[in-house]
Formats: sequence, structure tokens, C-alpha cells
Amino acid sequence: MSEKPFFVGYLPAPGPLRGFLILISVLLIAGLGTAGYLMGAAQDDPGPGAFRFDYGRQTVTGVVEMTPYPVIHVVEGNDRIKPGDSFMMTAGGKSGVDSRAMPLNGQLAQVSGIVLERGDLYMMQLRGGRNGLRAAEGDAPDIAAEPQGRWQLTGEICDGKCLAGAMRPGRGLAHKACANLCLLGDVPPIFVSSQPVLGTEFLLVTGPQGTRLPRDAYDYVAQFITAEGNITKRGDLLVWEIEPDTIRLAGEDLE
Amino acid sequence: MDTAQALVMLMQGWGIIGALVAAVFLVIGIDRIDEDAQGAYIFRPLLIPGVLLIWPLVLWRWWQIESDAAAWAARYRPVRASYGPAVVLMSLGIIVIVIAGLSVRQSWPDEIAPVQLSAGADQ
Repeated sequence: MSEKPFFVGYLPAPGPLRGFLILISVLLIAGLGTAGYLMGAAQDDPGPGAFRFDYGRQTVTGVVEMTPYPVIHVVEGNDRIKPGDSFMMTAGGKSGVDSRAMPLNGQLAQVSGIVLERGDLYMMQLRGGRNGLRAAEGDAPDIAAEPQGRWQLTGEICDGKCLAGAMRPGRGLAHKACANLCLLGDVPPIFVSSQPVLGTEFLLVTGPQGTRLPRDAYDYVAQFITAEGNITKRGDLLVWEIEPDTIRLAGEDLE
Repeated sequence: MDTAQALVMLMQGWGIIGALVAAVFLVIGIDRIDEDAQGAYIFRPLLIPGVLLIWPLVLWRWWQIESDAAAWAARYRPVRASYGPAVVLMSLGIIVIVIAGLSVRQSWPDEIAPVQLSAGADQ
């Protein structure tokens, strides 16, 4: 009969196998721990974005503008959101508020919801139905569009909601599929510039001549790109009309 | 066709062939090679996902048993013999994929500044 030690799970480990078992256990724990640490350390900082439930529900009144993504220019603010601010709006989950905002385009409206904030970028997740967005009494002031010229920018197209704090990470290649689903659901897209443009690194990004972000650009979401287009200031928000045929990966020459 | 489309088409093709193999094997083949399966039907749908994935192995085993191409034990030996190399290759593959992913990852282009190509109408 063979003298080779044989391990049976419900019996004590045979003497000659104990050292091997301890060695393998230590190597596995140390190896997996090290691999986990290295993979975690290789990830980018997810940034400071977050839902600001600590602010409580925010309710302000302003002028709705379809850029074509819905933006509100605040006329009557509160302690946190000041008159003159402009911010984007979204609904719960991966969906926008286009259908609710379109009938109110150019009109005064009251909006209510929870703020998502990331540095100087913020947007609002509206409450459901008319509780989140409803027409308000009064005359809507004109919101002038101020052309800022044609720019070549380098950075990343993200979905505004996740970037502002709905997800961590809310940008980067690991988040690409989520970002595209959000954009398909009409969440406003944001361009994060490699360096500040006219004082901000976050711009609402649309297609040329005020169209929605072209589907061609979705392939470049979450990648670092360079592209060209006109910038217009609407309220205190910059809107970049990206031209899809100028998009290329950052560092590549335009053909 | 880009890489993503090619990968999706490859997976679709693999799945379609797997579905055909599953249909033929679970309706006809399994009765021919396993007498214990004869008259038993409820468990067969549970095998569909597995057959979709490993249909080449299903076909090979079916042919081995149906044709008496090898002795009983030999029908299983080639598969078991490949476990060791497969484990080593898959382990190395994970490491290679992680390293390749990290090496081709873009770095944030913070050295590239915005460039104004033309002034605005009221600038």
C-alpha cells in the first residue's frame, strides 16, 4: 500500500502536507491581497461628486431653456442656489426630463429636487411629475446667448448625472457603458476639459447648431479626445457645439 | 467592421451553432449515448446554457461514444489531460490582460490646453 499522504477534508491534514497547506494559504492570502491593492492603486481618483442629500430638497424658480438639453436659469433662488445660476436637470435613474421641460421652453418654471455636486458643477435630479417641474407665475426674462468663438478642446465626454455624483467613478473607461446608457436616456452630456475654458472645466456638450449630441460621438464617450466646435454662454453655463468629424483621440493628429 | 462588431458577431455565431447543437443533442443525441437519460425530459432544458458554451466538446464526446472510437476511460482522458495547461494558460492570460489593459490606457491629457480658433461674434 502506498505511503503517499492523502488529504481528506474532514480529517486532520497529514503531517507532510501541513507545511504545503500553510505555504499555499499564506501565498494565496498575500498574493490576492497584493493584487487587490495594486489594482485599486492603479485606478483613477473617482473625484468628489455626490448626491447632496445633506442639503435637503431644493426648490427654485427660473427660465427653462432647451439647449437642446433642458437647462434652468435661476430667477428666484434660495440659500444655496443664487439668482443668475444656470444648471442642468435630470430625472431619477438613467433618464432626463426632456418631455416635461419641452412644453415649458422659454417660460418661467419652478423646479424641485436633490442637487448633485462636483466642484463648481452641479445639476438637479427633479422630483417626479409636476412636483419636480411646473409652470410658475410671472414673465420670463430673455436669456441672451453670448457666442464665445470656436474652440479646440481636449478632454472627455461624460454623462452629466454620473459625473456630478450619481456614480463613483462617474467617468473613465470603466464607466463608458453606463455613460452611454444615461445619454441614450436623455441625461445631459458634459465635456470635462483638460484645462479650464473661460473659467470652467465643465461644459454642456451638444451637436452643431443646437442639435443633440450626435450618435457618432457616443463611440468616443469616456475616452480622452480632442475636437472642435463653437462655444456659447447661456446664463452662466457654457455650451460647446462639438463637431463630430473633428473628434480624434487626444494626442492624434487631425487627418 | 470594427473590433467590437467582430467580437459580437463571433459570439452570436458561436451561440447560434450552440443552439443548433443543443436542439439536436438534447432531442436525439442524449438518448443514443446515455440510456439513463431515456424517458427523462425535465432536466434537458437545464443543459442548454452549458451546451451553448461548450458545444464543440459536446459534439466530440457524442462522436467518441457513438462511434466507440475509444475505450470508455479514454473518452475522458484527453479532456482531463488538458486541465493543467488550461489552468496555467488562463492564469497567465489574466495577468497579460491586466498588464495590457493598464499599458494601453490613456492618461489624462492635462498638458493639452484649450485653443481658441476664432473669436465670438460679440468679442
